[in-house]
Amino acid sequence: MTPVAVMVGANRIVPAAGIIHPLGNTELSPDEEKALRRRIVEKALQALRTEVVEPTVFGGE
Amino acid sequence: MNSLRVVCYLNQFFGQLGGEDKAGVGPQAVKGAVGPARAVEQALGGAGTVVATVRCGDNYVAEQTDKAVAELLALVAAERPDLVVAGPAFLAGRYGVACGALCAAVQAELGIPAITGMHGENPGVDLYRRQVYIVETGAEAGRMLAEVGRLVALGLKLVRGEPLGPPAAEGYFARGVTRHVLAERNAAERAVAMLTAKLAGRPFASEVPLPDFPRIPAPRLLKTLEGATIALVTDGGLVPQGNPDGIEPLNATRYGGYSIEGKAGLDAGQYDNVHRGYDTTYVKQDPHRLVPVDVARELEEQGAIGKLHETVYSTTGVATTLAHSARMGREIADKLRQAGVDAVILTST
Amino acid sequence: MRLRLELRRSQVNALTAASATRLAGQRLDVDVDGLRAVLEGDPRLARLRIDLVHPGERCRIGRVFDVVAPRAKLDGSDFPGVLGPVARAGDGVTLALDGVSIVLTDQQAEHAAMLAVIDMAGPTAALSTFGRTHNVVISAWPAAGMGRAEYLAAVRLAGLKTAVHLAQAAREAEPDAVQVFELPSPARVPAELAHLPRVAYVFQIHSHQRPTGVDEGILYGDPVRRMVPTILHPNEILDGAVLRGFMGRNATTWAIQNHPVIRALYAEHGRTLWFTGVVVTVAHATEPERVRSAFMAADLVAHVLGADGALLTKIGGGAPHVDMAQAAAQCEALGVKTTLIVEDMSTDGSAEGMLLFDFPGMDALVNVGSGQHRLPFPAMERVVGADDLAMKLGGEMNATYGTLCGAIEQIGATNVMAVVE
Repeated sequence: MTPVAVMVGANRIVPAAGIIHPLGNTELSPDEEKALRRRIVEKALQALRTEVVEPTVFGGE
Repeated sequence: MNSLRVVCYLNQFFGQLGGEDKAGVGPQAVKGAVGPARAVEQALGGAGTVVATVRCGDNYVAEQTDKAVAELLALVAAERPDLVVAGPAFLAGRYGVACGALCAAVQAELGIPAITGMHGENPGVDLYRRQVYIVETGAEAGRMLAEVGRLVALGLKLVRGEPLGPPAAEGYFARGVTRHVLAERNAAERAVAMLTAKLAGRPFASEVPLPDFPRIPAPRLLKTLEGATIALVTDGGLVPQGNPDGIEPLNATRYGGYSIEGKAGLDAGQYDNVHRGYDTTYVKQDPHRLVPVDVARELEEQGAIGKLHETVYSTTGVATTLAHSARMGREIADKLRQAGVDAVILTST
Repeated sequence: MRLRLELRRSQVNALTAASATRLAGQRLDVDVDGLRAVLEGDPRLARLRIDLVHPGERCRIGRVFDVVAPRAKLDGSDFPGVLGPVARAGDGVTLALDGVSIVLTDQQAEHAAMLAVIDMAGPTAALSTFGRTHNVVISAWPAAGMGRAEYLAAVRLAGLKTAVHLAQAAREAEPDAVQVFELPSPARVPAELAHLPRVAYVFQIHSHQRPTGVDEGILYGDPVRRMVPTILHPNEILDGAVLRGFMGRNATTWAIQNHPVIRALYAEHGRTLWFTGVVVTVAHATEPERVRSAFMAADLVAHVLGADGALLTKIGGGAPHVDMAQAAAQCEALGVKTTLIVEDMSTDGSAEGMLLFDFPGMDALVNVGSGQHRLPFPAMERVVGADDLAMKLGGEMNATYGTLCGAIEQIGATNVMAVVE
């Protein structure tokens, strides 16, 4: 629900992998899931480092 | 009809005690009308008298609001008023907040109608508009008589129990609460009429105000990631088994802080999930699918981040009111800031 | 060839049990025993009871599941795909009774707190359409081992059969009113009316927050799973092609049969607007489907129906609310001006909680009030349709607008409105 995040003014938004598993994917093996999770968290860290002036969505997978 | 007893509240400046140098002065009452309270008396005409003017320094109220309001309430109560008129505070922020706080307390604790006025950008408006009728004024005291006149007019209606018109008509800030009425036409007919007007470029009145979320300036991360402490927060409903803090599954008003000190990850057996807005099967099987402690810990060990904060904060984000969400956010932020956290990753469904 | 629906409406002001079902002036006699025997023939049901309830009685109907309006084709298939065989709806003569409704109750649901009531007297009766109609209340109990889906399908079928049975009584009657609904294809606008703004209606007919069962026909009997947006002629909706699914708060089949948006657009058609047609959609459970549905609906509205404006409604809770907004945002992005009918979504009476979305162009919103607003219910003398709850439901209740069936209809049939103060 990234549009809601933009609406309420969250400045740094990283789209996650799904409502019922934001940082996972049950169709992947545990290792692949963890790798996906790591990529999303790394994108979040990159967003934290990035200067923004308004709600910004940091690209999808 | 008996003449109404009115008490006015003024700050140190309008109460003629002094300027900023007197902003620390404590609560006091004088008999009769002082300063703008005289304009109130004039506006009342024969309907009432200002029996007392209560005054207090803006800093005194700002620095210890609860204590100050309690003391002011006692002074007000002693005069047995029918109506309390505070301000108007125009753009003076501390004054506006003090007026709002006092009026809210007068209504809630003394059951006496209260009215105040200030400019739209006064922080007192957002804080108290739901509980207190706040008349919209200009930015400065240039037209005191006219502004006070509107306060008194609305105040008299409140005292007399007369029905109020809509905010625009009566001049007060929309309180942001809703009430049901029966329209003359059904919603479908109103919608067709509204669309026709919109297509023709004619004015129309939408029945739902668009949300107006204040812009939050984006903080800058002042350290490098390698030197930063990162905390994990979630509104996905993660709780320890047994939900010890009683976090509600819907309309949450509570959140919890849970230690991950020394833990490489979240053991599924020790956690549960109370969120009612999504199917929590998968995040119960593996809580990392909601709160990525495992990956964050690895990043910490590898030096990609300075430190993973030892507490994870959690609540449920379904049908949570905006008011409680904002409050919980502020409280969690305060705790994190005091603990030296530099940045947060908040995970949400 | 164009669709021409002729609705022959007969007003009913009195309802009684009798040895045969017939319409005598404005009194409807109902052969309750005969009807019950027919309905009990469904093997999915163990037994069935029919109660007749009248406006003004201090009676509360409990366990309300849905409400259906009496309708019967003079010739043709009734409720095609669900009761009658699949056939075109929206053409020919249809008999309709006003002043009498068929109320279906759910005798299987365990959490009766989720079910609605209808009050026949007091201020709550005035708030609901069905507090002012004579009601034929059907209570049916499931046969042993019947699952939820089969039971509800059977209850609904009983309701539809009753709807036809009652309306057939008007076969020989001189109608009190005749309404003709005729709308040419959007491709055939006469030159002299080409200046009128073209308006489409985007009708969200189901929400897959709760997926449909196999026997849960919504569109010509299809359970509309994974349905992509499509176009219907408005007459089809007025004539039984679309039914409400098995769950619905603040939504009844009755309201669809009397569709207020379609009727309001028809009333203005050829005068202040040209009604180009109806796009039907479902609200999806996943974001990719929601996105696809939004831009397909907008394409149909803008590029196929050639609309200048669109009116949108939804059915269900928060996700359909956002789903509808996404479709509207796509329409606005194509230059189609939109108006949405929304339910106030706030859970604490705050104006800022009314909406869950904020897209550019969402400046024309009509609201149907909030199902969560508190509403006091007075004590009643009799409870019908909920024997097991009679003690609890008969007394004063402090419940919500959503508890009162017919107080709020999401497609806009009602007058309750939330104002911001």
